[in-house]
Amino acid sequence: MSALIEIEQLTIKTADGRPLVTDVSFSIHAGEPFCLVGETGSGKSLVMHALMGSLPDELRCSGQIRYQKENLLALPAAQRRAFWGRRFALLPQEPWLALDPTMTVLDQVAEVLLALEGMPLGQARKLATTELSVLGLGDNLLSYPFELSGGMAQRVSIAMARIAASPLLLADEPTKGLDKALCQTVADLLLTEADAGRGLLVITHDLDLVAALGGRLGVMRDGRLLESGVTEPWLKAPTQPYSRELIAAMPQHWPRPQTKVSAQRSEVVQAQGLSKSFGDRHLFSDLDVTLREGEVTVVLGPSGSGKSTLGNVLTGLLPADAGQLIWPESASPLKYQKIYQDPPAAFIAHQTLRQSFDDLLALHGLEPARLNHLLSELGLAEALLERRPSGISGGELQRLAIARALLLEPVMLFADEATSRLDPVSQKKVIELLLAEVAERGLALLLVTHDPALAERIADQLIRLDQQPTDAAAQQQAA
Amino acid sequence: MSSTVTLPADVLSEHPASSFWTLSRLAGAIILLMLALFAFLGPALIEADPLSQDYDAVLVAPGDAEHWLGTDQFGRSMLARLTHGARLSFVMALLTAASAALPGIALGILAAWRGGWVERLLVASSDVVLALPGLLLVLLLLAFSPGSFGPLYLGLALYLWVEFFRVARIEAARVFTQPVVEATLRLGFGWGYILRRLLLPALAMPMLTLFAFAMGSAVVAVSTLSAIHVGLRPPTPELGAIIVELMPHYSEAPWQVLMPATAIFLLVLSLQLFAGAKPR
Amino acid sequence: MKQRLMLRLMQCVAVVLMVGTLSFALMVALPGDPAMRIAAGRYGPDMMNSAIADQVRAELELEQPLAQRFVVWMGDLLRFDLGHSLVTGAPVVDEIGLQLGHSLMLALLAFAISLLIGPTLGALAGLMPGSWMDRTTLVLATALRAVPPFVLAVLMMVIFAVTLRWLPTAGFGSWQHLLLPAITLALGLAAMSSRVMRDAMVRVTREPYFAHARLKGLSDRAVVQRHGLRNASLPVFTYLGLQLVYLVEGVVVVESIFAFPGIGHALVHAIIARDVPMVQGTALAMGGLFVVLNSLVDLGCVQLDPRLRRAA
Repeated sequence: MSALIEIEQLTIKTADGRPLVTDVSFSIHAGEPFCLVGETGSGKSLVMHALMGSLPDELRCSGQIRYQKENLLALPAAQRRAFWGRRFALLPQEPWLALDPTMTVLDQVAEVLLALEGMPLGQARKLATTELSVLGLGDNLLSYPFELSGGMAQRVSIAMARIAASPLLLADEPTKGLDKALCQTVADLLLTEADAGRGLLVITHDLDLVAALGGRLGVMRDGRLLESGVTEPWLKAPTQPYSRELIAAMPQHWPRPQTKVSAQRSEVVQAQGLSKSFGDRHLFSDLDVTLREGEVTVVLGPSGSGKSTLGNVLTGLLPADAGQLIWPESASPLKYQKIYQDPPAAFIAHQTLRQSFDDLLALHGLEPARLNHLLSELGLAEALLERRPSGISGGELQRLAIARALLLEPVMLFADEATSRLDPVSQKKVIELLLAEVAERGLALLLVTHDPALAERIADQLIRLDQQPTDAAAQQQAA
Repeated sequence: MSSTVTLPADVLSEHPASSFWTLSRLAGAIILLMLALFAFLGPALIEADPLSQDYDAVLVAPGDAEHWLGTDQFGRSMLARLTHGARLSFVMALLTAASAALPGIALGILAAWRGGWVERLLVASSDVVLALPGLLLVLLLLAFSPGSFGPLYLGLALYLWVEFFRVARIEAARVFTQPVVEATLRLGFGWGYILRRLLLPALAMPMLTLFAFAMGSAVVAVSTLSAIHVGLRPPTPELGAIIVELMPHYSEAPWQVLMPATAIFLLVLSLQLFAGAKPR
Repeated sequence: MKQRLMLRLMQCVAVVLMVGTLSFALMVALPGDPAMRIAAGRYGPDMMNSAIADQVRAELELEQPLAQRFVVWMGDLLRFDLGHSLVTGAPVVDEIGLQLGHSLMLALLAFAISLLIGPTLGALAGLMPGSWMDRTTLVLATALRAVPPFVLAVLMMVIFAVTLRWLPTAGFGSWQHLLLPAITLALGLAAMSSRVMRDAMVRVTREPYFAHARLKGLSDRAVVQRHGLRNASLPVFTYLGLQLVYLVEGVVVVESIFAFPGIGHALVHAIIARDVPMVQGTALAMGGLFVVLNSLVDLGCVQLDPRLRRAA
């Protein structure tokens, strides 16, 4: 099988000569997915745009990208642009943002034919209708993008890519912003395209997607291709230390937490017959939950299923519509702390972390030594405090949020999707720290997530909120 | 056409310019400062009375040894009339903007904080004010006693508070729905802390901008109303009145018309440059 | 959307109440005999004598509490009985009808000219941010926005009428009379709308959907036509509400400076002449028109933006 695309020693530099991508070589074959794996900033998106020919003018490329025996990098920009849509079709990142908010889905698909083949509008619409119907969007032809769920928007962008029948499909982070549960669906859609004989390049940091796609992969870090090869054996036996770290960070590969001593544990909150709805949207009803010290409770469900709301109700941050909540008599709200999904959003942005922590210590008359002790326990350098929340990484800030909560010696921590915005390695670290605190201090941990693998790995008690979200709700969540 | 791909800023090593002192804001501040010196030091340093007439020196061109900026049709010193006019514009603008800003911001925060009927009532009253264009409202109030200061001030403040209220309410509501408020309260801090550390810093910039815009609007309104003969009246040295008074003499004394016009232009321009982009 | 129209309805009621109440207060507060003034307002100054004034006094029961007189005043207003001008004696409705026509002509012409200049220059500047075109329009727009309409009017008059003698300074009668006031207003409007369009265009070109439209194979021209212009004009259309404020205020000012016999000119004269029925009539007409036009802008926004259309 001859390669559809051959990339050889691709190097991308800034105008002032700083290398962003160095000596990357791999090839893509028709009918076989190729995944380029790496963290944000590893250079994987740059490689894709170099292939597409859509890099900013300021960047310099060298090396070769061969397509049909021709070196694309040697072609003039106009000629490369003529390939867009015809030869290379791009599935955009977060497709709900890549669709024109004021044009119907049908017309956005049809206009590809208008532009590429000069087809009359009526015929283009007819073909677009067929294409969208095949993908199960027959009822949404005249919908606008804001009326679609994340998964539906993804399928619209696939329809746009398919309709021109280009031989190579480039997918940019196709699972970004989607629930974990949709990962398999996205993989199936992409595999259909590969099975139809197309080349498929997928840029992602989602190893679940990589595993579901199979084929071949390359691992990128700091602008270099660390290794490349066939996906399946790589997942079982990675050779590079960085690859091993990536794979170990997948929740299904985490070591099982030790089974705990089943001592008599006291309840931190008891809830009976809880119900809650927002307007017409019914979230849950007649739900009984008990959270105990030293226990990990996970609420699992898709976007919009009301899992965060349940957490807020149990933490006393939101009233329930019906039902009874019993907290121990001695409990103060200060002992029920929450860790937020987006770490910077939980800190005062314009002041240093030192200032925020000093205020907190002063407010409760706490010893600074306590904080220092906690920081070292959580593996955080004290110097981080001199920065502002925007100046440190999400993983570090999330650990600082945990330190902040632990200062008040809580009996319960509510982690609201607390790791969903972190990369897998940071996610693993944060979860391990939380579990260690549960074991050591005997706190109750309530974790809300949409990742079934994570939930199954750590839960002592698992609550599923399976109610299918309305599309509008899912879309809201995605946006 | 902009490039197709937006890269993270650090890739292209672009550093956003210092956020507050942009070039245009700096220029605005410098012009504003110079105008303020002219307006507040001028009347103290210049002995000429803006009202004293001298029929022996009518419409003297600027550059005269005795009358640096010339004289008007009654032989009054243009320099004196311009500095007094500029001071009047400044004082009126500061007074009306402050009278609009304080209640506007306070009510905006209150509406966002309390919500419910308090918010609905306040929003409804701001909508009522917005039902008429500002100038029309001021004109109706001025009808009670054209040429006097009271209705002019009242009308302007009554109209301008709405903008402060509207933006302060939206901004405060945005702050109040951020997780950081819930988190801060749960850590044991009170609303006072949130007001000091979160809300006021978040409001400072948009409110400063609005304040500069409000001053600009007041300058324009005060001079416009005199120019159409319903605002402050001659012989008060008001910039708009000076322009219109001298219009019939434009052919003989063009500079006398253009100087007050330039003063208004610079004052409004510097305020708008200092204000920066208007918050929505 | 329903909510928005309810708001406009409320504003309409508010305009009537505010203008009516202020005019009533004006009638009461002004020095002199209110009965004489009311009688003159009702039947015209020529018809008025002390007998009629007494008749009015008796009928309106001017010795009666203010509240009662207020009800009668507002009753007249709601029946569209706006009375007679105290100056000319003509029915206010007739006077306003004529003046409103003149003003609408002026406003429409100004608006049309501003649309030709503003959004067009704005869109071009927005497609080439940082170009000489962008910078020139930025400087021009910034300068123009700092010139109050009356100063602009004076400058136009000085340049085109006094110095160049191309057009008449003031007055009414031919299309030449319309030109200077209209251009004055149009320049101010265009200065605002060009920047709004420019910023909107820049924002749209940075949206992922704009980039993706190119990547899926559309030509630059098609991307701008199909995805750029419509999305960029949404904020411009929303901004029309603020342009209306400028337009109404500008009509008052520019008409007064150019002695153009429109409704703004009439309002200012009525205030100076203390012609209360005319003050009330002109203010009502302008305020009412303002609210109606705002409602049309609201409806237009809904038509343009499917997100609002579906919510309606």
